[in-house]
Amino acid sequence: MSTAAEFVAVSQVFGDFTAVDSIDLAIAEGKLTTLLGPSGCGKTTSLRMLAGYSAPTSGTIRIAGVDSTRTPPEKRGLGMVFQSYALFPHLSVAENVGYGLKLRGVEPTERRRRVMETLDLVGLAHLAASKPKKLSGGQQQRVALARAIAIRPTLLLLDEPLSNLDARLRVQMRAEIRRIQGETGLTVVLVTHDQDEALEMSDDMVLMRAGRIMQQGSPQQVFPNPANRFVADFLGYENFVTAADGTLLAVRPEHVAVSPADGAGGAAHDCLQLAGVVTDVAYRGVDLLVTVQARDATGAEVRLLSDVRSTGSETVAIGDRVTVTAPVSRLVALAD
Amino acid sequence: MKTRRPVAGTLAVAGYVVMLVPILFVVATAFTSERTLRFPPQGFSLRWFEAALGYDPFIGALVSSLQLALVATVLALLVGVPATLAIHRGRLPGKGLVEALFLSPLIVPELVVGLALYQQLVIGFRLDSFPVLLIGHTVLMLPYAVRVTGASLALADPALEEAARGLGASPVRAFFTVTLPLLRPGIFSAALLSFVTSFNNVPLSLLLQSRDFRTLPVTMLDYVQQSYDPMVAAMATLILAGTVVIAVIAERTVGFAKIFGGINR
Repeated sequence: MSTAAEFVAVSQVFGDFTAVDSIDLAIAEGKLTTLLGPSGCGKTTSLRMLAGYSAPTSGTIRIAGVDSTRTPPEKRGLGMVFQSYALFPHLSVAENVGYGLKLRGVEPTERRRRVMETLDLVGLAHLAASKPKKLSGGQQQRVALARAIAIRPTLLLLDEPLSNLDARLRVQMRAEIRRIQGETGLTVVLVTHDQDEALEMSDDMVLMRAGRIMQQGSPQQVFPNPANRFVADFLGYENFVTAADGTLLAVRPEHVAVSPADGAGGAAHDCLQLAGVVTDVAYRGVDLLVTVQARDATGAEVRLLSDVRSTGSETVAIGDRVTVTAPVSRLVALAD
Repeated sequence: MKTRRPVAGTLAVAGYVVMLVPILFVVATAFTSERTLRFPPQGFSLRWFEAALGYDPFIGALVSSLQLALVATVLALLVGVPATLAIHRGRLPGKGLVEALFLSPLIVPELVVGLALYQQLVIGFRLDSFPVLLIGHTVLMLPYAVRVTGASLALADPALEEAARGLGASPVRAFFTVTLPLLRPGIFSAALLSFVTSFNNVPLSLLLQSRDFRTLPVTMLDYVQQSYDPMVAAMATLILAGTVVIAVIAERTVGFAKIFGGINR
């Protein structure tokens, strides 16, 4: 697997704020890599450095093996989709998509052919003559995508491309971007703060926090094995308990069961069991959400969340004394 | 029309009356067939319009005024638009101060500016009145150039220029293919406002005039002091008509809300 782009000890410092703190990152060719994290984690700054819109304070960025740290954006040959789409309002859809081709000296007939080909790819050929303002958000998003793809970029960069769309369209566009990536074979780097989006779309996900990379790997590697509390928290583990030996354990709410305290038939050796009091019950149709206040092995107060399929006949209520059970196989030991 | 604010409503109406009625008087008297400026006008004729257009000092001054307004507008945009770009997009230290400097001609009394220019340039450097007037009027228009184009620049998404760069445009190319087309309405309204401001200006033009170069408002002022006939009303009506045409163009192309919104931002 070859590397399309690479960050080597890259930092970006704005005054006394370190946005990106000496990251090393390899972006695999032909894959979709997401930079995932909360706002301010440095993901957008990293993308902007890769695109050439801001220069790293230190470190090296290589694109296709070539040191591009100081290369201006117009010489990088990358396609970028902005969060605001940044479509040129004074140009038609076709002119937007053809803008980069025109700059590359592609002659008009060939340009028109490639514009229509790209608009076909995003399903908007019929709107070629429209002005961007007349388009819906989802259509504008596709035009932005087409404009970035038309120049046949070495990398396609997407900065929170779905955040301005409504929920249904967002889910549709995830599949759409995956399809386009598959058809074009492009290397894609996508910035997002939405873990579902990252899990669903990524070949490779990079979790960032405070300018550092917390964990990198495929969704199948990262999701069941979060490296630390931050990643576990971000991926929705919710429950954190400290074991007798001081190890921090995380478990997802869907792997936590709640049963009446008196009905428990002794502690099973392959389960973690804690006694507690129910503080909240939320019936959500398919599942039942129960919050329990308990004490872990170190005696510390912990809040545990159970989210299991509802049978519709549970009688658990606030104030009940209960036993919380989680199988050992589902417990993840965290580094910190 | 009923209003829930009787005092404000009355004041607004009074304001319009005070502003518009004298103008109506001037327009009405321009169409008189009599020899004196009197209201109500007696008879109807276009003779005073004919007289105004045939009166060489007026026509000469009109040409001077148009020349001055046109050249000063171009100069103000050539200085003001790059200054606006530097203020809004550049890495300029003390941006606020620079912007305030460009806006200051709105506040500094024009007579003071005129006197300063007169002392320094006309007496000190012995410059002709046209170049000095040009400098004065250009300075006077800079606030419009900076404020109005600044307003349309502030509305434009900075990512647009970045998008152009990413697609292969050099900074200069990105400016001419993306930023400038977006600024066009702003530049256009700045030009119109500047033009009208220069054309109607009296204080600077009065102070810096010479026998060879005199603007229309100054010439008319001069004329009124000597003879009080309806020809000056006819000329004023013609200017008014021209200004209205410009205002209508501005409203149709950009909209007043945008133009004046830009100033009051």
